[in-house]
Amino acid sequence: MFKELDPILHSQLRLAVMSLLMSVKEAEFTFIREKTNSSAGNLSVQVQKLKEAGYIEVNKQFKDNYPQTTCKVTAKGIEAFENYVKALQDYLQVGK
Amino acid sequence: MSTSDKDFTAQESLQLIRSMIETTKSSISDKSHFFLIWGYATLVGCLLQYLLMVIVQYKHHYFAWFVTPVALLFHIVFVIKDTKQEKIKTFIGETNKQVWMTLGFSYLILGFIFSKIGWQYSFPFYILLYGIGTYISGTLLKFKPLKIGGAFCLFLAALTPYLEYSLQILVAAFAILISYIIPGHLLRNKYRKTKITDNGR
Repeated sequence: MFKELDPILHSQLRLAVMSLLMSVKEAEFTFIREKTNSSAGNLSVQVQKLKEAGYIEVNKQFKDNYPQTTCKVTAKGIEAFENYVKALQDYLQVGK
Repeated sequence: MSTSDKDFTAQESLQLIRSMIETTKSSISDKSHFFLIWGYATLVGCLLQYLLMVIVQYKHHYFAWFVTPVALLFHIVFVIKDTKQEKIKTFIGETNKQVWMTLGFSYLILGFIFSKIGWQYSFPFYILLYGIGTYISGTLLKFKPLKIGGAFCLFLAALTPYLEYSLQILVAAFAILISYIIPGHLLRNKYRKTKITDNGR
């Protein structure tokens, strides 16, 4: 049924992360965790999968002596997200 | 949130995307304090200068503008505080920041220009810049009071050169009231309401 949908994006938490990042320039890991209501461990795994797919960029730095991780979507990620939404819309059109 | 793909339909996908985008919309941080700092500082500067110049008839009436470094100090404190608390950077926020940085430098450069050619020409240009900045911010934030205040300042900027200098000071005070102070308070209320609604969910 969803064969044409990107398996990297067709997962609730990864899709939530990508949707958040699509509407901002960059976001802190803690912000994403808070908004997706996920655990740090689970989110880390999903963020890593998105990073490996080349959909997001992850930057680790220090802010006021505390580690800070920020994520931002890449051009490849934007393209994949747009294709995913288009595929969803096509599917919904067929279903009508 | 689960990462399971079971029973994850197309409708649910779209609903998830929509709700996440809505979440970031309400997370755009409140920067109205900058409008209020500079708005009140300029209002105090204008009224004090008018008082010293017209009522007290003090020769160094421009001393009123020593309020500017005080506002700058508050501005720096808030920038540091905001940077520490900022968890996301939005395209709108970054564009707005760049617009105001450019305008901030423009105010400074105008200061150098008018210290050379004479301050009697200054107010129409400053009012024009208040208008440009607030109109752009209003457009970016989709906030009508800023757009209306900004547009009205453009009209006031055109009117000001026809008035004598002491009246120009009062027009500048009125311009800052309608472009920074009133929209600044309305923006602050809007963000507070959004925050209360979000916390109540």
